[in-house]
Amino acid sequence: MIMETPVNPTSSSFVTVRGLKKRFGDYTALNSISLEVAEGTTLALLGPSGCGKTTMLRCLAGLETAEEGYIEIAGKVVYDSSKNINLMPEERELGIVFQSYAVWPHMTVGENVGFPLKVRKVAKAEQQERVRRILDVVGLGAWYDRPATQLSGGQQQRVALARALVHEPRLVLFDEALSNLDAQLREQMRMELKVLQDRLGFTAVYVTHDQSEAFALADRIIVMNRGHIDTQGLPREVFDNPRTPFVAQFLGLNVQEGKIIRTAGAPPFALASQRRADQWAEVALPGGTAVWGRIGHDGPMAAGSKALVCIRKEHVQVEAPRAAAAGSAPAQQAFPAQIRAASFLGLSEEYIIDLAGIELRSIQPSAGVHSGDGVKVRLPPEECIVLPAGAGTASPH
Amino acid sequence: MMRMAGGTVVTKPLDAPAGTVPGHERRRSSRALQVGLPAFGVLAGIVLVAGPFLATLIRSLLYWSPDGASVAVSLQNFTALLSDPRFHEAALNTLICGVGATIFSTLLGLSLAWVVSRTDLPGRSWFEIGNMIPFFLSPYVGAEAWSYLASPNSGILQKASLDYFGVSLQFVNIFSLGGVIWVLSLFYTPYVYLLVISPLRRMDAALEDAARVHGASFWYTVRHITIPLLMPALLSGATVVFVTSAGLFDVPFALAATRGIRTVPTEIFSSVQYPADFGRAASFGMLVMLITVALTLWQRHYMAGRRYETVTGKGYRPRVLQLTRSGRIAALALETFYIGCGVVLPIVALVMVSLSSIWTGRFRPAMATMSNYKYVLFEYDLTRIAIVNSLVLAVAGATIGVGLSILQSYYLNRSRSKARGLIEAVLTMPLGIPGIILGLGFLILALRTPLYSTLAIILIAYVAHFFPLAIRTISAMFMAINPELEQSARASGATWGQTMRYVLLPLLKPALIAAWLMLFVIFVRELGSTILLYAQGTETISVALVALGERNFGYVAALAVIQLLVLLSAFALFKATRASIGQE
Repeated sequence: MIMETPVNPTSSSFVTVRGLKKRFGDYTALNSISLEVAEGTTLALLGPSGCGKTTMLRCLAGLETAEEGYIEIAGKVVYDSSKNINLMPEERELGIVFQSYAVWPHMTVGENVGFPLKVRKVAKAEQQERVRRILDVVGLGAWYDRPATQLSGGQQQRVALARALVHEPRLVLFDEALSNLDAQLREQMRMELKVLQDRLGFTAVYVTHDQSEAFALADRIIVMNRGHIDTQGLPREVFDNPRTPFVAQFLGLNVQEGKIIRTAGAPPFALASQRRADQWAEVALPGGTAVWGRIGHDGPMAAGSKALVCIRKEHVQVEAPRAAAAGSAPAQQAFPAQIRAASFLGLSEEYIIDLAGIELRSIQPSAGVHSGDGVKVRLPPEECIVLPAGAGTASPH
Repeated sequence: MMRMAGGTVVTKPLDAPAGTVPGHERRRSSRALQVGLPAFGVLAGIVLVAGPFLATLIRSLLYWSPDGASVAVSLQNFTALLSDPRFHEAALNTLICGVGATIFSTLLGLSLAWVVSRTDLPGRSWFEIGNMIPFFLSPYVGAEAWSYLASPNSGILQKASLDYFGVSLQFVNIFSLGGVIWVLSLFYTPYVYLLVISPLRRMDAALEDAARVHGASFWYTVRHITIPLLMPALLSGATVVFVTSAGLFDVPFALAATRGIRTVPTEIFSSVQYPADFGRAASFGMLVMLITVALTLWQRHYMAGRRYETVTGKGYRPRVLQLTRSGRIAALALETFYIGCGVVLPIVALVMVSLSSIWTGRFRPAMATMSNYKYVLFEYDLTRIAIVNSLVLAVAGATIGVGLSILQSYYLNRSRSKARGLIEAVLTMPLGIPGIILGLGFLILALRTPLYSTLAIILIAYVAHFFPLAIRTISAMFMAINPELEQSARASGATWGQTMRYVLLPLLKPALIAAWLMLFVIFVRELGSTILLYAQGTETISVALVALGERNFGYVAALAVIQLLVLLSAFALFKATRASIGQE
């Protein structure tokens, strides 16, 4: 669709949100949110339920009205509290896919998908042609005349997707769009969505609580927590370097509180894999274990202050004592520990480990150890991330 | 056997008899109960439905020669009826009343439901209660009240508008087809309202949001998404209103029959008055039953393909429309109009008339007297007996009806019989059949039996007519109860009876209370079948109202207010139990 409004020259991004505030009674759903989305990219809003991500999406769509702030989509100001601008949802030229699909049960597949064209008074013949084309794209070409109620969940999802794309909107919003599908179908749709976006080049905002979905689909990720933006960045950045305790916990890392013993430019031993980090710290954990890790936070961290040590489950290495004895080079940062529980996950095995009174979880290929066994646990220093304590946490997802 | 270190037995082998495991005998009686009780309920239901139907059918086919000497099986009754111009007049009038009432109550019910569920109108929760009240009131009393309010010469509204505004409303005449439609619409609006409000509330907001985001305006979305999604509820509401309002005896009897306007229910009534022509009445009844059943079947068939699942996923609450100033005034005016006409005005009129010793159309507070109440409560045998009879019938009928419906619902929801669908169709049949026609069936059955002119036959007719309503309420609750809850009770060693008593009935309790109160209300005000079945000594309040109507307005109004108080307390109880369910 061709835009009538001239592009605002002051803004380089496609979607601009500034200072958006929204409250529901006493509850602050959005606390001064600002964000940008570049044209043709996908932004994922990630966070636990109640973090404000869905409210953010609904404010973009015009389904919810913020109290304060500014929203611009494709150069068109759609909401500006200071100038009393608030466009109705239908004036914002968007597409949306809901978790519940929201496929209208009283219409056929063709009528559902053709709806955005019908309300735009596109000529009948063109409507039909465009609907057929987009149905082919989502693989439902043969379903044009079928009642929408005969479709399976995955097919309804495709109808909803086709409906959101048929009028070539400038921005497509996805509200937990894949979470009603079963795991296998979800993977498949995720790939198809990515292919479609490359092909059609639309800009997307994708709300989800599922981190793997966000990492797979997004060019940029914003992690939200209680109405704030907690972290934003490239998927790899957010994944590799959780910068806040909240993100670390949300992504499912082991998080242990301790006290910083000292900080240094480098740990006092050679690293297995060389990785540049500006600052290192040694942290004393409860039970007397001292661990070196890299500081994953920009602010100053002084000796004596409280800190969190975060390490991904996949990086906690469990070795059976025999293997360790026979083992190769003596590894840094390995501690005697005990297996509390082991559960078989198929390709890998999850262990709950007791390390001098603290509990760690590890996921790795089976080490052949069982509940109650004494083991060696290695915490590679380059995988231990040290963050300041008390900067805001949430219950693990 | 597992032994601990000390040698104590901690678990018993599974096959050894233990004190709490039911013995063989007990298990057998449990099975007999489980099969027998629901089967009994279903059989009783079928007999109650089939009895009056077959009686009417057979009677309609029997034709006595004019001299009464010979009887033959023929269609003579039908041909006589169909060629009678009075029948055509009655059928046309009833069609007009039914269609009129259906149109108005559908429009009113939908608008009221929408205002209450989808706007931010202040005081919505109060209006929500107010909109429901007419559902619990007696249409006969409502018609009486409206005859006080809007009769050409002595109507309260006519006199008041003349006194205060100098406007003559003489042309407004409640004793007309228009008057019948008016009162029917007021009383049947809650049927549509109730059926529409829950889909309006529970509809997945995303269905409407998606339309808005994809470019549809608010009104376009209402027309193309919201209304079509409500269509199944609207259509079933309209069918229910048409079938029940057209067959209702109370309102045309009060407002049309007195002015010589013929309708189907009142014609059936006069057919069995002296000199009675049961053949004519029975063929009349058969025709109405056929139309009712056909309409109900058509509606079922239509709905079968259109059960939209509009509740899905996490679903937000539908958006509430923020009304503008003028919108708020319009919504408020609509609510005031409906509750005013359906509840406030009729009650005010009844109270005014009941407090006046002579009614002239104007209320004089200085002359207010309780003498009418004193008369109907303490001095007049007919009304005293009628009040007792009504309460006895309502309590006994509601209890028996709910008891039967529990068994039937159990059968319909828990048995694996293939006949379930058919049996459900049969059991829910009486709902649409007018009371006067069911009453006729039982009258034909009971004539020349000891049941004739007893309270028992009235009780049987009540239960037969309205137990399907209880089935509907209880079945809805049954569907929400996972059978695994009962299965775990059985697995824990409970018999079927114990499972019913400790698991199922407590879970069903809210529905049982609601169904009981609903039947109670319906039985307290029932007129259509009672008017055919009562005899001296078995009058009910509604019958007494009719009987008194010929003598004194004040007595009628006083007795009507007493009935109203009973109905309103049942409504209050209903609201109270619903509220306590909501808190759970």
